[in-house]
Amino acid sequence: MVDLLFYVAALVAVLTAVGVVLARNPVVSVVSLLSCFGSLAVIYLLAGFQFLAAIQILVYGGAIMVLFLFVVMLLNLGGLNPEDEDRDDPLFHDRRRSAGGLAVAVALGSASLIGILRGARHLAEPTNGLVPPEEGFDALPALAEAMFTRYSLPFEAASVLLLATTVGVMVLAKRQRSIPPAGEERS
Amino acid sequence: MNDFLIILIKTCVIYGCLIGAAALMTLAERKFSAWMQLRYGPNRVGPWGLLQPLADGVKFIFKEELCPDGANPWIFRLAPILSAVPAMLTVAVIPFAGDVNLFGVDCGNLSITDLDIGVLFLVAIGGLSVYGVILGGWASNSKYSLLGGLRASAQMISYELSLILIILCVVAMTGSLDLRAITEAQNTGNPLSWNVFSQPLAFVIFVIATFAETNRHPFDFAECEPELVAGFHTEYSSMKFALFFLGEYCAMIVMACLTTTLFLGGYSVPFWEDAPWFVELGSFCAKAGFFAFLFIWVRWTLPRFRFDQLMHLGWKVFLPLALANLLVTGAVISLA
Repeated sequence: MVDLLFYVAALVAVLTAVGVVLARNPVVSVVSLLSCFGSLAVIYLLAGFQFLAAIQILVYGGAIMVLFLFVVMLLNLGGLNPEDEDRDDPLFHDRRRSAGGLAVAVALGSASLIGILRGARHLAEPTNGLVPPEEGFDALPALAEAMFTRYSLPFEAASVLLLATTVGVMVLAKRQRSIPPAGEERS
Repeated sequence: MNDFLIILIKTCVIYGCLIGAAALMTLAERKFSAWMQLRYGPNRVGPWGLLQPLADGVKFIFKEELCPDGANPWIFRLAPILSAVPAMLTVAVIPFAGDVNLFGVDCGNLSITDLDIGVLFLVAIGGLSVYGVILGGWASNSKYSLLGGLRASAQMISYELSLILIILCVVAMTGSLDLRAITEAQNTGNPLSWNVFSQPLAFVIFVIATFAETNRHPFDFAECEPELVAGFHTEYSSMKFALFFLGEYCAMIVMACLTTTLFLGGYSVPFWEDAPWFVELGSFCAKAGFFAFLFIWVRWTLPRFRFDQLMHLGWKVFLPLALANLLVTGAVISLA
């Protein structure tokens, strides 16, 4: 029963995560991301982290996604079609920049992968399997300890990834085609 | 297996009662408003119009389903569900009474589940109902709906802050996020141990903020008929509209139950500490019923605010007061 629930939640999480990237309509992306967060909360709940699940819904589902939705609606991004607008964008054609971006992506991806594999190996040991926590087990200190000692590399990688995303959003949102020569007025 | 059966029965009974209560509340709303305005109200279907909600339900089912031109059909359908489901989910952690012993079978406490993080669950899931409003407003592809949805979500987010801060005061006093523990801390047989007497300011802010949180009069800017036709559900018809309606009334009932639990001792009976479960249930229903009535009473008594007044009240009055209340509560707890 728990296994089945886990597979359903995991499948929904992956499908909606793909949906976030593929959806043409930004509002649909936001809704998929919301369902993705919801299924992640279910997975946390199945692992026995009630607190984390509630925080996931409260902070990501309740607060951050509402903010996203507001921004998407108020900026009215509905008509944006990336295919014909970004084709001339130098951001996607500069070889050196693309290579640099690719290198950073590969580095971050492999760091995350190492973290996941280490976590999987850790879980595969018979003493560390996915067992429901004992009665009265306080999950929070254990979680904090694991996050800042054993898994600090993926944790830091995730934070760098978030920073890179923020910078990337800034660059994409400004949509500056090319830097105009000095003296010339910006369009 | 037996445990599973008991939980299943409890879930069915509590949800049946919730939906029944929501239906009856729509009738009560019309009856009370009629009495306050010297009218009769619905009195054709069944004795005292008691079957009116049923007739309304049948009418909703047979109405035509409309989806406006240029609207996103999936999100348009999703919005009423997102409005009704969170409101109904939150009732799962409300403790209605103590240990139930029915025909010699021990059925456990009368609530669907007693989560350790009950309050957090309630706040988290309750916060999701804002999506129903905002997505419904956006997906309708109509300016009135969009304005109504934006207003409603801005209002819900603003008042949620004060609401959570006030809940935090009660949680700090009890030292637990479990709603049953919060009730038991007040269940001493002495009504003076109810939180309403130790936290009077918090109680007043909480009750007013629940009105704003559920988009009820005098804060019902989501609808605001003279300006916005009917706000975010202007374009909805048939059962989709009924779902919004159901969500609104369920949210009101849950808020009434939550106010009872946090401030009026939940199911505790005055001067009778170990009351049997049906007396406790009666006590809970009487208190929650009063708050449900308060929602109706205020709606037909007070005029509507202006939107800037509402925001002023939320951010410049309630938020500082709630913060100060939390500060004083924390100081008193750490000194005592």
